[in-house]
Amino acid sequence: MQLNVNGRTLEAEATGLATLVDVLRYELDLTGTKEACGVGVCGACTVLLDGRMVASCITLAAQAQGAQIQTIEGLGDRELLDPLQESFITDGGFQCGICTPGQLMAAKALLEHNPQPTEDEIKHWMMGNLCRCTGYYQIIESVANAANAARGDR
Amino acid sequence: MTAYQTVGTATARVDGVDKTTGRAEYAADHALPGIIWGKVLHSSRPHARIVRIDTTEATALPGVRAVITGDDIRGNLYGRAIKDMPVLAVDVVRYVGERIAAVAADDEATAQRALDLIEVEYEDLPAVFDIEEALGADAPIIHPAYGTYPGSKPLDAPSNGYHRTVQNRGDLDAGFAEADEIIEHIYTTQRQHQAYLEPHTTVVAIEGGHTNVWTNSKVPYATRDGLAFTIGIPADTITVHALYIGGDFGGKGTPLNMPICYYLARESGRPVRMVSDYIEEFLAGNPRHATLIKLRTGVKRDGTMTAHHVQFFVNCGAYAGYKPAGVIGGANHAAGPYRIPNTRVEATQVYTNTVPGGHMRTPGGPQTVFALESHIDEIARALGRDPYDFRMQNLAEDGEQNAAGETFARVRAKETLQAGAEAAGYAQPKGLHIGRGMALGDHAAGGGHGSATVTLTPDGGITVGTPIFEQGTGTHTTLLQIVAEELAVDPERVHLDSWDTGAVDTDSGIGGSRGTRVASTVGHEVAQETRRALLRIAAEAANRHVDEFTFGNDGVIRHNSNIVAPRSWGDLLVATGQTAVGHAEADIEGRASATGFAAQFAEVSVDPETGEVKLLQFTSAHDVGMVLNPVGHQGQVNGGIVQGIGFAMMEELRVEDGRVTTLSFGDYKIPSAGDIPPLKTVLLPSDDGVGPYVVKGIGENSNTPVAAAIANAVADAIGARVRNLPITSERVYRTLKSQG
Repeated sequence: MQLNVNGRTLEAEATGLATLVDVLRYELDLTGTKEACGVGVCGACTVLLDGRMVASCITLAAQAQGAQIQTIEGLGDRELLDPLQESFITDGGFQCGICTPGQLMAAKALLEHNPQPTEDEIKHWMMGNLCRCTGYYQIIESVANAANAARGDR
Repeated sequence: MTAYQTVGTATARVDGVDKTTGRAEYAADHALPGIIWGKVLHSSRPHARIVRIDTTEATALPGVRAVITGDDIRGNLYGRAIKDMPVLAVDVVRYVGERIAAVAADDEATAQRALDLIEVEYEDLPAVFDIEEALGADAPIIHPAYGTYPGSKPLDAPSNGYHRTVQNRGDLDAGFAEADEIIEHIYTTQRQHQAYLEPHTTVVAIEGGHTNVWTNSKVPYATRDGLAFTIGIPADTITVHALYIGGDFGGKGTPLNMPICYYLARESGRPVRMVSDYIEEFLAGNPRHATLIKLRTGVKRDGTMTAHHVQFFVNCGAYAGYKPAGVIGGANHAAGPYRIPNTRVEATQVYTNTVPGGHMRTPGGPQTVFALESHIDEIARALGRDPYDFRMQNLAEDGEQNAAGETFARVRAKETLQAGAEAAGYAQPKGLHIGRGMALGDHAAGGGHGSATVTLTPDGGITVGTPIFEQGTGTHTTLLQIVAEELAVDPERVHLDSWDTGAVDTDSGIGGSRGTRVASTVGHEVAQETRRALLRIAAEAANRHVDEFTFGNDGVIRHNSNIVAPRSWGDLLVATGQTAVGHAEADIEGRASATGFAAQFAEVSVDPETGEVKLLQFTSAHDVGMVLNPVGHQGQVNGGIVQGIGFAMMEELRVEDGRVTTLSFGDYKIPSAGDIPPLKTVLLPSDDGVGPYVVKGIGENSNTPVAAAIANAVADAIGARVRNLPITSERVYRTLKSQG
């Protein structure tokens, strides 16, 4: 099958039952997307399909055909970090880092949908992305600061 | 306090770019040509003889490369201290979830299909699941051969209570005789899963007699040595490769499937990857232990405590092998930071036919602190005293022994409690059904062996090498900050090199809040060694004696009588073309001489109709020494508290008839961003920490008292006491019905 990932068309040999996370990680070597709970409740595997958040562990790769798939590898790189990546680094938005790609993709979807979220809106939106390290406070702060940076407040 | 440039200021983490761009490599990300997938079959019985395992059909399935059972690998037992565990069950299974067979196949789905084709015939044996059952006179003995296990001490008579300690201080009976009242309670705590979001993962590749392992171990040297013992091969034929660890919280020192992965790789002749799914994690991980804690305290009418008896029972599950010391400590925390002259602390470790426990964030701490700090509140209430005043009366002061007989330097329990009470508005008026509660805990950082190397090259390269695998808490950045400080450079210039095992002889890894203590000491020493190496290069270049030069805190090397012009160490290396290397090893023994207190205050509202508890506010006051990286430190405070909230109110690895029934994150709820209360943190810095940067541990302290503070707030709100964790709405409701 053909998948459009981060603006590039990639070929995968996946069977019909392969999940999107497995194809991304183990066929296309895009290991930035992580799998944790395997049942769509923790958010670690969050990627965007046409800008919409999905849990790639319970999404078949076949369902993603024809969509623009955005993963952490497409968010920004060392030379040009996304404001969200910058704020997660500066404000303690990550510790072990395993949920971080999912957190960042969820936050990206939030800011595209609502560029100036309130703290409650951030909490509500990010509830599906579990983190065991940070207790969330610094993630929420990171997202708020990235939104402010985009507005030029910081 | 000493003024520093980098140490003590918010420093961007060295792993930040890797982790926010998806480039950081974790065990499951490691790819190798020809790699295949391993999976494990788990016992469905809590205690049974294995009559027969038939792997014929599994072996015949196309794509299957290896199928192994306990019979194929009879050999050394596994265990971190007490070696009581077979790699795969031999003859007997002792818990639901015990590993009994394993398969390696070309893909994960084929491996799973092969597992489904393995037939196991069991003959059930009587099983025991809880502490009291297991200690009963007619209980089946789970390990009849206990005394023969390496690391065990033979018992006088067969018992599931495989280890018991009794610590006496003063005269307990006399203390009770002196008391006006004797107050006694029983508390229980549940199993908690560490719930790191990265499950246990191992990749093993055996090449030319050398075994390469990629596994998420926070103690890579101990993991290597444990594997070597179990297989019976020399440790230097194994390399555990450096990688990032996706959360630990104590649980990533136990390798779970790792030895199995080795045997699958050996049998199949291929590299094998084993990624636990979260069903396996909940079913057969190494969770925090369930405990039963009996406390009995003698107290005088004036509030003086005269005697205190702790009976701490740990439900260890079916094996001791996942416990780094074979037993779970923490019993001393049930004696606590109070002035009580006569104490007895008993701790009993009990085998049951349930999932074996391992380490989680202050093993034994949250359990015993929940019990003690609930009990202290109950004593205060029984005497008609405010729990805050009662604590202030009884907290041991500087120079006094605590109830366990320990003495620490510069005890600041009262200051910390007072600061917390003020920030929490403890004395402010409050509304109906609103409760406030507090709890106090303390933890002295652990010791260990650490090392580091600094390499400075003429092209400006600065590299710090470390045997520590970064598991999330920021130890790499701490090390880097200190080296940057001592060499007077911008921390962004310092590169971090995480070593594979074998780079040094040994390393203790992460645990017991030792990370910052060991890293700050080693970082300081390696920087001094590097300064000396630079001075030698300066002396050699000028053809003078090394003692004539000094290294300034500005990074400039000066001659003591200015015969040689001062120059920065960077310029020196450019001019000489030399590379400077410093290496340091440090053995830091035992617990730190200074402990760190945490005083936490919870404010809750309770709906008396439904038992629903809302956490309105949480305040955490910490006696901290010096904080090296404020952002990272606050992250440890926040994360510890939220894990504690989970333990207090939400999380329970439920076991019914020996079977874990919460097998997904849908059933085992951990706090989400929607569950966190407004949080106030109060830090009380001081020069009272340990090591060159006067530090104290924070990772465990922030977590330990949370459940007790919430329990005390709930009791304050409703006038009834929940003595069993977690404090769910159902439990509060039932408590109101029975006690209210």
